[in-house]
Amino acid sequence: MNSRRCRSSWSSPAGGFGVGKTTTVGSISEIRPLTTEAAITEVAAGVDDLSHTPGKTTTTVAMDFGSIAIDPTLKLYLFGTPGQDRFGFIWDDLIEGALGGLVIVDTRRLDDCYAAVDYFEHKDIPFAVAVNAFDGAVEHDLDEVRWALDISDHVPLVVFDARSTGSVRDALLVVLDVALSRAESARTV
Amino acid sequence: MAVGGPVPPDAAGDGWATPERGGRPSAIRPFLLTAGRVSGGGKAPPIPIETQVVSTSDGLSVLRSLTFEHHDIAAACRRPQSVAELAARLRLHLNVVRVLAEDLCNAGHLAVYVPNARTAQDLSVLRRVIDGFRAVPDSRGSLRDTS
Repeated sequence: MNSRRCRSSWSSPAGGFGVGKTTTVGSISEIRPLTTEAAITEVAAGVDDLSHTPGKTTTTVAMDFGSIAIDPTLKLYLFGTPGQDRFGFIWDDLIEGALGGLVIVDTRRLDDCYAAVDYFEHKDIPFAVAVNAFDGAVEHDLDEVRWALDISDHVPLVVFDARSTGSVRDALLVVLDVALSRAESARTV
Repeated sequence: MAVGGPVPPDAAGDGWATPERGGRPSAIRPFLLTAGRVSGGGKAPPIPIETQVVSTSDGLSVLRSLTFEHHDIAAACRRPQSVAELAARLRLHLNVVRVLAEDLCNAGHLAVYVPNARTAQDLSVLRRVIDGFRAVPDSRGSLRDTS
């Protein structure tokens, strides 16, 4: 085996615009987050509702990502994508081989992440929902958030600070715990 | 543990230091570079974006004969990296890079290592990732690349 080969997997924080995806990725990544563009191709065009913009055939969206070397042969990628359902085509692209997802919530704009929560539930991907506490403040209590987003009881809901490496680490560990227990129970069945 | 991820650019011009050629990317439509192809031309699904790509010795030996984006990709892939990193560094559209990387792979200039999708359910991998995360300090400090 080529010694330079890296195995890789990733986790994808998702949330609405401006809820701290880039900050989250930047807090935990070992590299300065990079940005790439993904666009609707002809295959995915049906996913996006382009009816409001007749004549427009492509939509491009920036996707931030960072990485962490777990050990010399295992590297984890983190991708941050917008959470609105019109960007669902990107999630499909990312979901194959994903360890899990973290849906980042701004309690002032709960609507923006509803689609992401829905998506992860339907795709049966391990995920957790993390409320980004801007300046330590969360405008709703967690029970209200869980109710408003219709999050199942088995889905962890945490408060975190996107600017803090330790806080982001702990939020992602919650996702990884979900993934691990799921993999363990799949093995014993 | 090796400090992960790419290191700052070397003088070989691997894309970090090279801003977009010819100005803003809107100068040409992205898929003009691929003659309109949106994936490698086969029926296979597009390669995952974390797929690792690295130049082969064959690719590096013919580097001078490669042109434009093919050349840039082969040059940048002296160091293994993901398709996503490659796209970001060369400021190319992600799906364009996928197509061009597959071209280079078919020509033997690039080795493409598609990750195993089952990794996500692999207990030993998950435990390694968890252990790796637990070792992440509360603050990253100066580890970040500041290029």
